[in-house]
Amino acid sequence: MTSSGNDGGAAVASSAAGAAGTGAAAMASRSDYAIDLAHVAKTYRGRKKVRALRGIEMRVHRGEVFGLLGPNGAGKSTLVKILMTVISPSECHGTMLGEQVGRKETLGRVGYLAEHHRFPDYLTGAQVLDFFGAMAKVPGAERKKRIPRLLELVGMKDWANQKIKSYSKGMRQRVGIAQALMNEPDLILLDEPTDGVDPVGRRDIRNLVQHLKDEGKTVFVNSHLLSELEMVCDRVAILVQGVVSKQGTLDELTSDKKRYEIEVAGDAVQAQTAFRAALPGAVGQGEFQPAMEGAAGHAADAPPTSSPLARRVGLHGNLATGEWVEIERNTLRVGTTDPAAIQPILDGLRERGVMIRSVRPMRPSLEDLFMEAVTDPMTGEVLKPGAADGPGGGARHSARGLVDGGGGATGAESAGSSGGEVRP
Amino acid sequence: MMTQTWAIFVDAYRELNSKKLFWITMVLSGLVVALFACVGIDERSPTFLWFHIDFLPIDSTMFSPALLYKLLFLNLGLGVWLTWIATILALISTAPIFPDLIAGGAIETVLSKPISRTRLFLTKYAAGLLFVGLQVGVFTGASFLVIGIRGGAWEPGLFLAVPIVVVFFSYLFAVCAVLGLMTRSTIASLLLTILFWFFLYLLNMADAIFVSFREQTEAEIAMRTAQIERAERGTSRMLVRQREAEQRAENGGEQPGGSLPDGASPGEPAGEGTLAAWTPTAEEIDAANPFIAQMRRDNEQSRDGLAQLEWWSGLMFAIKTPLPKTGETISLLSRTLIDMAELEAAEAAASEEDGGSGRDAPPLMPGQEPPELDREAIAEAGGRGTRDEFQSRSVWWVMGTSLAFEAAVLGFGAWRFSRRDF
Repeated sequence: MTSSGNDGGAAVASSAAGAAGTGAAAMASRSDYAIDLAHVAKTYRGRKKVRALRGIEMRVHRGEVFGLLGPNGAGKSTLVKILMTVISPSECHGTMLGEQVGRKETLGRVGYLAEHHRFPDYLTGAQVLDFFGAMAKVPGAERKKRIPRLLELVGMKDWANQKIKSYSKGMRQRVGIAQALMNEPDLILLDEPTDGVDPVGRRDIRNLVQHLKDEGKTVFVNSHLLSELEMVCDRVAILVQGVVSKQGTLDELTSDKKRYEIEVAGDAVQAQTAFRAALPGAVGQGEFQPAMEGAAGHAADAPPTSSPLARRVGLHGNLATGEWVEIERNTLRVGTTDPAAIQPILDGLRERGVMIRSVRPMRPSLEDLFMEAVTDPMTGEVLKPGAADGPGGGARHSARGLVDGGGGATGAESAGSSGGEVRP
Repeated sequence: MMTQTWAIFVDAYRELNSKKLFWITMVLSGLVVALFACVGIDERSPTFLWFHIDFLPIDSTMFSPALLYKLLFLNLGLGVWLTWIATILALISTAPIFPDLIAGGAIETVLSKPISRTRLFLTKYAAGLLFVGLQVGVFTGASFLVIGIRGGAWEPGLFLAVPIVVVFFSYLFAVCAVLGLMTRSTIASLLLTILFWFFLYLLNMADAIFVSFREQTEAEIAMRTAQIERAERGTSRMLVRQREAEQRAENGGEQPGGSLPDGASPGEPAGEGTLAAWTPTAEEIDAANPFIAQMRRDNEQSRDGLAQLEWWSGLMFAIKTPLPKTGETISLLSRTLIDMAELEAAEAAASEEDGGSGRDAPPLMPGQEPPELDREAIAEAGGRGTRDEFQSRSVWWVMGTSLAFEAAVLGFGAWRFSRRDF
């Protein structure tokens, strides 16, 4: 069902009969989510048709901090604007706070900090809060109580009566966050909240997000700063070229990529020889099988964390027991979380007199996940921004194939049913 | 719902308050009213402060101070200051409202609030009228005091200027708002609105010119018809006298039935006798006085011209009907504020002071060339006729159709605003 218009609840059509998540039971379960999107698509029609969103499926649980990340042009802002009724979707099945997306009344329970927001220069910080609080239907007496409290919360109490035009970028950001909280929302969408904010301010915003979570609010953060998200988010989604590439908790997303890294002393050639010698005997039942010799065509078989260098020199493969193994300079990576699995390797290295410098259990960072999502595994190059219509979607297909285990789905039609989500 | 509406209006006021142009306009309004208060009239002539302006041929016996102030308010305060200068300043001040509203970074936060786009658009539009409302309110209030104190007439009807000027401005602001929405540019919307206003002005001018020419032509025909009647009367009298003389000659100098008394029309009973029933035919009159035929031909030509002018003024009327009538909306105030009888009496007195037309209507005798038509009187009649014509147009036609235009423009703007992605 295609939506049209932006006014009130007319913006978004309800789910079509038979579509995922329809029916009373489905709706009831959906209300458990702060945001539950089954299929959101947006196509900009102009001289060149651009499919900005190709079928977003995303769920944000109530009371969690959810991070949305993606490269420029991935469609993050388009998605947030659709939720806030700033943009009308081409197609949208989904709910926000249990109501259909696009319903104006629901926005009274939502706070929103827009990216690159611009408040009128003639207003003071307190007046900005008063105006947007009134627009969110907060009664006057209530606004008077909340304004000083919120300005204090964001550290702007002393600037309450100064004109916005005298504020720095970071101060405007703080006031922007305060205005998003004026209606005491159940769901807060923050689009690049730390944009232009200094490190102290970032820490304050992180603390504020944590504070909001502790109060039971749902916080949806859209940010480029992966380290920021990693510190505050319970769950994340990575949006690439208009589809959700991955979503879940960090543990869920990295569970199959956790590894042990063994670093040895000495020069790299000796280390690699020692690793190769130690592996078959160390594993015992199996034998190290080099998977490739520099051929890009076998990239799909590479370990999830396989580095370009390792792939280039062809020093990766699988043990007979199934764990992937990768050698890069003085480091051996083994795809396991079981410490027992690496003991034979360590024994083999010691038997050969190799000095072990460190043994560390490792988990990919959010940046690793992000880079993996936005890198074309065939070429090793970062995918182009945007989601122009046409065969370009195929590049994403390859990436999604890697993430989703080669589901083979492409484009808007199939993206809604995948997304690589790991659900509890 | 009222919380949001009130917030938008308060925000509009804060925005105005921050604009220098708003306060500059307010100060200029004060100066205009102060100038207004400096003008007076006494039994000798109009005055400015303590100076007499003797070259103006009016005094307080012709124009009462109250009438003078009302005319000054209507023609200068309202007609020039508020509807031209202050309106341009108001357009400059309010043109950025919609481009600023939909600017990137500003619109997202507003649209994320629980208010429908249609209501947001219309409320923002209504709040934009606050500039003019406040300016006209202050100007009218000050003028009310000046007319009351200096002219001795406390005229609450003056405050009708507030809604009338606001409605007048709203026609232009509706166009400006929608253009701002479409172009996202303050400059483009402002220039296009002024261009539209200029088009309306030209249209109104064309309408007034055609109506004026039509009225002048009608007056000209009426005057020439009067001249024809005078010439016919004189010629007819001469023909009767000729006939009398001929009959007297035939009867050997005997009076046939009494002579036609001076001043009596032919055909009227002139006494006993056969001549009393005789009246020269039109052909006989035309044959006796070639000027009559010429004047008839001139009138025919004027009537042809009148038909064309009626067609053109009808066309102008039809074109104006669906468009905003800015000038006529402003003129509505004079209908309630000015006693037309008093104004006409004052104008007549001034006209007589100026020498007057001094018209009389003696019969025109054959061979006597008819005098040139009084062009001044024709122009006066044209002006009076135009004023009467414009004043006879109903309030519904003037304001109702203009508001219908405004509603259509705003409807389109609201529709566009509701469907647009930002």
